[in-house]
This record gives sequence, structure tokens and C-alpha cells, in this order.
Amino acid sequence: MTKQIEFSGVNKHYGAYHALKDIDLSIDKGSFVALVGPSGCGKSTLLRSLAGLEKITGGDISIAGEVVTTLPPRKRDVAMVFQSYALYPHMTVEENLTYSLRVHGVARAERKQAAAEVAATTGLADLLHRYPRELSGGQRQRVAMSRAIIRNPKAFLFDEPLSNLDAALRVHMRKEIRALHDRLGATSVYVTHDQIEAMTMADHVVVLRAGVIEQQGRPLDLYDKPANKFVAGFIGSPAMNFLPATVTEGGSVAIDIGNGPLSLAIAVAAPAGARVLVGIRPEHLTLTAPGEGRFDASIAFTESTGSTTFVTTATTPELMVVETGRRMVASGDRVGLSFGDASIHVFDAATERRL
Amino acid sequence: MRRLYSSLVDGRGFDLCLIGIPLAFLIVLSGIPLIYNVVMSFQAVDMFSLGSFIRPWVGFENYRQLIAQPEFWPIMGHTATFLAASIAGQFLLGFALALFFWTNFPGASWLRGLFLVSWVMPGLVVGAVWNWLLSGDFGVFNFVLRELHVISGNVFWRSDPNFALWSVIIANIWLGTSFNMILLSVGLSSIPADLYEAAELDGAGALTRFWTITLPMMRSTIGALISLGLIFTLQQFDLFAAITSGGPNNASNVAQYWAWDLSFKQYDFAKGAAISVIMIAVVMVASVYYVRSTRHEVRG
Repeated sequence: MTKQIEFSGVNKHYGAYHALKDIDLSIDKGSFVALVGPSGCGKSTLLRSLAGLEKITGGDISIAGEVVTTLPPRKRDVAMVFQSYALYPHMTVEENLTYSLRVHGVARAERKQAAAEVAATTGLADLLHRYPRELSGGQRQRVAMSRAIIRNPKAFLFDEPLSNLDAALRVHMRKEIRALHDRLGATSVYVTHDQIEAMTMADHVVVLRAGVIEQQGRPLDLYDKPANKFVAGFIGSPAMNFLPATVTEGGSVAIDIGNGPLSLAIAVAAPAGARVLVGIRPEHLTLTAPGEGRFDASIAFTESTGSTTFVTTATTPELMVVETGRRMVASGDRVGLSFGDASIHVFDAATERRL
Repeated sequence: MRRLYSSLVDGRGFDLCLIGIPLAFLIVLSGIPLIYNVVMSFQAVDMFSLGSFIRPWVGFENYRQLIAQPEFWPIMGHTATFLAASIAGQFLLGFALALFFWTNFPGASWLRGLFLVSWVMPGLVVGAVWNWLLSGDFGVFNFVLRELHVISGNVFWRSDPNFALWSVIIANIWLGTSFNMILLSVGLSSIPADLYEAAELDGAGALTRFWTITLPMMRSTIGALISLGLIFTLQQFDLFAAITSGGPNNASNVAQYWAWDLSFKQYDFAKGAAISVIMIAVVMVASVYYVRSTRHEVRG
């Protein structure tokens, strides 16, 4: 696999604020990479640095083997789809699509031809003479993507492109963007705060926090083996449950969920007395009759979506359980909770790293 | 009675009041004087019939006489020069300054605010200041031009027929530039920054971005500004009164000053009114354009 994009030791300072800290990241040609993290984590800054819209204060960025660190955006040959779409409001769809060609001096007839070709593949053929204000959100989104496609750039950059769309359209566009990526064989970098978008669309997910890459890898690897508590809590919905625990002699841990200490037999690679966090995903907890699970708890409340029931226990900290189908349990009921050992994640309480 | 009261407090009567009061204000203070002026331009008016509204109707005789006067076409020419040069100067300097402050260096907004000082100054004060600056013997303007070797001898700006009009134009450009700058700054700042980023990624250099993004996005602002400039420039009277009084020998006389001169110095009210009516026609066209360009604002 050839590397299409490489960040090496990239740093970005805004005055005293250190936005990106020693970012090392390589992106394979033809892959779809998602940069994901909470707001302010530096994911957009990283993308904008790649585009050249932000000047990095340290390190190097290369695109297709060429170091572009000091190049202005227009010489980097990357296309970006903005969150706001950034369509030129005074131009028709066709003029929007062909703006880059016009800037590069392509003849009018050729531009029209190119616009028609791209519009045919993205379903904009009937809208070429409309203005952006006459389009719906989804159509504007398509124009923004088509404007990127028409240039055949070295990389596609997406800056939260779906966050202005309603939920149903978002799910649809997710598939459309991914299909487009596969068809073009493009290299895409996709910024989002929505871990579901990252998980479903990307080949490779990079989780950022406070300007640092917390973990990167294939989506399911991140889900199965989160490197630390942050990634464990960020990936997966609803978020993972964390139970503070102390390692006891004989490879088990003692937890306290509000009504006295409770011993759980879990193999932990830590010395006795160590403070750890035990993580269990809500979908890996199952309800049983009282006394038949690993421990018992009372139910605080339940929420049902019809297909799924979210159960919250009256414990400290509270535990979230996701049950498929409808469970006839009500708040106040006493239930047993069961889980498989394989679905347990243990983190060091101090460093929050996976043990 | 109660229905009338409730209608006045919360109903159709209240709506009519809201429209009626400003409408009455406009009719009394703008509409009637305007109509009076138009009617007067078609009548024979002298000092004795000044107080009455019913006067001998003469049709277009006032206009015919006005146009027949030897100074009519020169003065119209001066007015056109004054309009074109003032608007062009104010607009170009204002745009340059707006673009300069748009780069947003430290203290830019503060400095931009200071520029408004010229605009809030009364025209007569500005005229007095420029009288000193443009003074032929000891004026700073001449000094600077001489030191830059643009001129060899002193130029008597206010009394030389070749320069009198330009001395008022220079003062007027100084007066109006900051207003142009402020409106253009507002227009510039309302262009979303991501359009420029998108254009930059699309490969457009700074100049291309200016021609393909900034100017088209500013079209309505520019249209509004030019028509406002036309209206304001036709209203510019103070500077003429303060700097040249239309002289020497009408060399810097313009329509608005001539109208006042005819009416209130030569007491030829009918011809003064006739000039005003011609100016009203011009301003009307500008107003229509102004309203149209503010209505067609393109915002993404």
C-alpha cells in the first residue's frame, strides 16, 4: 500500500494553546479515514492543516509523496466538502461545479461537458441551472461533493459534511458518500464528532482528544480492544459502563455499587490492591432472574424504543443495560445481571490505560 | 363607542394609526413641499405672488428660459463632473480602505472607527478646513504637491477657474470616503469566510478570488452605495457655500447651488424650482435603483 498522506510530528499552536501535539499519521492510498473526537479535540484543525487553511507550527505534511507543508491550499490539489457546503451563492450549480476548472483556464465547452458528466452520476442533471438558495439541504450537499469530484483531486477532505442534515437523510448520505469513495477509488479524510459515522463509513478510525491521537485502527478493533478509558467510552452507543474496583487476591476484583462490597471473579493482570476500572458495554449485560446473574441490582427506570429496551439500574454508578426486544421489567424490580468474561475491559484507574 | 375604542387599542384602527401617523408626517413635511415646488416650477412667480398658491400658469416657460440661459449647460456639465468624480473618488478610496482594514490587523476596528470623524463633521467646518489646506499662498496641499514635484508654482485652487470645481470635489471625496468605507466594510464582513477557503482550495489566487467572489457578492452593496452616493452628492451644498460660492464666474457652480442662488439671491423662485424638479427626476431614478439593489441581496 502506498501512503497518500503523511503527517509527521505535526504541531499547531494558537498563541499559548497547543491544538495539535506531535501528530504522526499515515493514510493509505484509496482508504477512507475518519478523524473522530469530541469538539475541540483538534480533528478539524488537523484536516484544515492538511488542506493548508491552517499553518502548522511544527512537523511536516506530505501528499502523494510531496512535502506540502509550506504550499498554499490552491497548490495542494485536495478538495474539501465544508460543513456549511460553502457553495458560491451567486453562481448556478453548473458554475459552482466548474469554478475550479474556470480558474484553471479550461474552455467553456469542456467545462459544460465535465459538469454534465459529474451531475449525471450525482443526480444533479436537472438542477444545473438552479442557484444554491433554490436547493434543499441534501441537494446542496450533493453539489458540494460534485464540486470536489469534478477536480479529481489527490484527496477528498470532509469537514462534518452531514451535520446539517436531518437524521434520515444523514443515514442515506452516509452510504452515498462511501459508495462514491469506492467508485472513485479516492483517498478520503472525514472529520466527524459522530462515532457512528466514523464506525460505519471508515476503513480506519483515528480517535483524537485534546490534540493527541488516543488510538487508531480498524473500526471494530477500536470497539473490541479500546486502548484506554476515553476510547472505550467514546466508541459505542450507549457508552460503556465503568465500575471502580480494587484487585483482590486470587485474580478477582471487589466492586462497590452502592450496597456493600461485591466480589467478581475476573482475571486481571494487576497486583492485588491495585485500583482499576471495569468496563462493560450496555449491550453485553443481560438481565436474569435475581440471584442467577453475576450480581443483583434494582432497576431505576426503563426506556423502550419498541425494538430495544434501555434499562438503568439504581446503583452507584448507575449501569446501563441494552436488551433487544421488550422486557417486562419496571422501575423498582430486582434483577440479576449477567455478562461473559470475554466482554470485560479492565483499565488502570490512574492512567486509564487498558490492562 | 366601545367598539371604536377597542379597534383603536387592538385592531384595525390601531394598524391604521401606525401607518397613518408616519404617513401624515411624510405628506406634511415632504409631500406637500415637493408638490408645491413642482407646481411652482410651472407658474410665474414674483415677490408679490410669493404668498399665494394660485398663480399664473406658464407651462414649460420657466424650463425654456432656464435652458436658454448661457450658464445652463456649463453648470449641468459641472454637476455631472462633480457627481462622477466625487462618487468615483469616494467609492474607490472607500473600497481600498475597507479592503485594507478587512485584513484585520491589531487595532483595525479602532482605527476604522476613527475614520468616521470626517463623516460626522459639518460640511461648513470641512469647507473651512479645506479652505486653509487649499489656500494658494500658504496651503499645505500646494506645499505637499510642490515637494513631490507634481507642481512647480502655486495653484490657486479656489480662484482658478480650472481648479475651483476640483477643490470642492477633493473636499467632498474626503468627506464621503469614510461613509463608503463603513458600508463596504459591512458588505465585506457579511461574505462568509468559508467561500474564500473553498475558492482557495479550488485553485483561485487572491486576485481571482476578488473578481469572482468578492465583487459579485458585493453587487447589491455597491449598487446601493452608488445610488446613495448620487443622492448625497446632489445634496452637497455646504462645501460650495464654504469653499467657492460657485465661482469664479460659475466655474464651480452646480445645479443644487444654482437652485439656491436663483431662488434666494436672485429671487427667481420659479427657475429655482424648475432646477429642483430636474434634480428630483435624477434622484428618483437613483432611488429606484437603490431600492432595487437592496431588495436583490444575494446571501447564501
